Amino acid sequence: MTLLFALAVGVIFGSGASLLLKPDLFRITLGIVLIANAANLALVTSGLERGASPISAAPGAAVSDPVVQALAITAIVIGFAVTALLLSLAYRIYASARTVDLDELSSAEALRAEEEDSRELSV
Amino acid sequence: MTIVAPLAISWVGAVALALVDGRRPAAGWAAVAVLAASFVATALLAGLVLADGPRQMVAGGWAPGVGIVLRADALGVLFALVSSGALLVALVHQVLDGVGSRAFGALVLFLATGLNGLFLTGDVFNFYVFFELSMLASYILSCYGDEARQLSAGFIFAVVNLLGSFLFLLAVAAIYHVTGTLEMEAVAQRVAGVEANAVILIAIGFFVAFGIKLGLFPFHFWLPTVYVSSTPAVAAILSGAVANIGSYGLLRFGAGILPVELELGATVLLVLGTASIVYGAAQALSRRTAPEVLAYSAIGQAGYVLIAIGIGGPVGYGAAVVYAIANAISKTLLFVSTEIRGPLVAAAFAIGAFSVAGLPPTAGFFGKLELFRAGVDEQSVALVALVFVGGALSFVYMLQLYQHDFWTGEGRHAQGEGESRLALRLVSFSVACLVVALGLWPQPLLAAGQEAARALGAMPA
Repeated sequence: MTLLFALAVGVIFGSGASLLLKPDLFRITLGIVLIANAANLALVTSGLERGASPISAAPGAAVSDPVVQALAITAIVIGFAVTALLLSLAYRIYASARTVDLDELSSAEALRAEEEDSRELSV
Repeated sequence: MTIVAPLAISWVGAVALALVDGRRPAAGWAAVAVLAASFVATALLAGLVLADGPRQMVAGGWAPGVGIVLRADALGVLFALVSSGALLVALVHQVLDGVGSRAFGALVLFLATGLNGLFLTGDVFNFYVFFELSMLASYILSCYGDEARQLSAGFIFAVVNLLGSFLFLLAVAAIYHVTGTLEMEAVAQRVAGVEANAVILIAIGFFVAFGIKLGLFPFHFWLPTVYVSSTPAVAAILSGAVANIGSYGLLRFGAGILPVELELGATVLLVLGTASIVYGAAQALSRRTAPEVLAYSAIGQAGYVLIAIGIGGPVGYGAAVVYAIANAISKTLLFVSTEIRGPLVAAAFAIGAFSVAGLPPTAGFFGKLELFRAGVDEQSVALVALVFVGGALSFVYMLQLYQHDFWTGEGRHAQGEGESRLALRLVSFSVACLVVALGLWPQPLLAAGQEAARALGAMPA
């Protein structure tokens, strides 16, 4: 069971990492979302055991580990906040530069820097 | 109660200030007042801890081992104190200069909460939560200025560091899986009985996560872009306060929790540290503008901390703490001085430059001296030579920068004419006075460094 989960974590993380390498702000954001969820799944897996939920377990019966659930829900909330932040940043960049392509963004940046240099030289 | 105060003050202040318009001077000064109160609380806590030893508190009155532990030892309070100080200086600088965004003050306070929390927590997962709180605040702060280049630098900063954060989270999951606990002390005890291969993988996860944060050589690529496009106050916050997470994390998780694995990887640390120093110095030498030179210099300085940790032992850890603290103070000073001009500023900048190069009488001199001592103790000629050559190179690039910005006409012209406000200059000058004071009377700093190294050694191995 742990092996299966570990493989799933690996596949999700790998997909996220390959999305991170794309020169597109939204793909990068999606990559971070996938990686965040790979980490959440790993958290759940780390305390994986069979048992009843601790709140209503019969005395002496096996209980599942509640700590990892608490960790995972916290990590999910953090991942959610991070996604919102990245999306709003991507939108702000789009609003000011009219592109979400990283290559175009950096060439626009280089142009701007050149203009600034030539302005400084001419003064 | 004393442990909670530094956290609680800035947290409540941050939430309250998030509701008001931070652009008004009154709101800015309120943020300064809250941060100053939190700084004083941290200083009081530091005094207590350094005098009587570590303090511990279990949140919510739970039994130890059940509840979440807050723990203040010498290492934690020292880093908390320096980071709050750097934030305070940067915030005062920005408020005097005029705040241009609604949330600036509140964000700095959230950042202070996160930093104090992660330096004072005794729980691995809580460390992650506070770590994310402070990083979220710093992602938004790095976009301060709202121009396209700041936004895209902020985006890159956020993505690269988030990758580091999630690697950290994976390592936390793994450490819970193999030890069954999240409390740092218990983890340190139980990890000794775990299969070595698993622990080495976890140690690598932690190392990469903190390496990204600190801007070490193979993980440095995000750092120059971000430092160059941020405003001076934000760059001071990033290099004086946020970068401390990396040094602290390496010390706490490497030396405190996984000392055996740290020793195994000592050669790797020394090689990467050397690469950082050489790369940072070579790049800094070839740059002209202050933010660029300082950004690459930050990569080099991170290398020194790594080397000190690689040397290890009480002397090495003590040197790492002293070096990291001296470096945080001098980088804060240099960044807040970059864009202001007039009497006192040139002197302040020169003192910061001396401190980075490691010349007496500045705090940086004792950072370098401790490293020398660690190198000599290790009986390694190569290390002593490296520290010396690195110091010489940093003297050359800082002098170049000083000449360009303060002596010749070009630098002055580029920054605009006229003197900056006296109050702004006084802020820089008072930090410079602190750097000199620590250089003239280094006893408190050195003693605190040794105390911090002892606190690490005291964690059960």
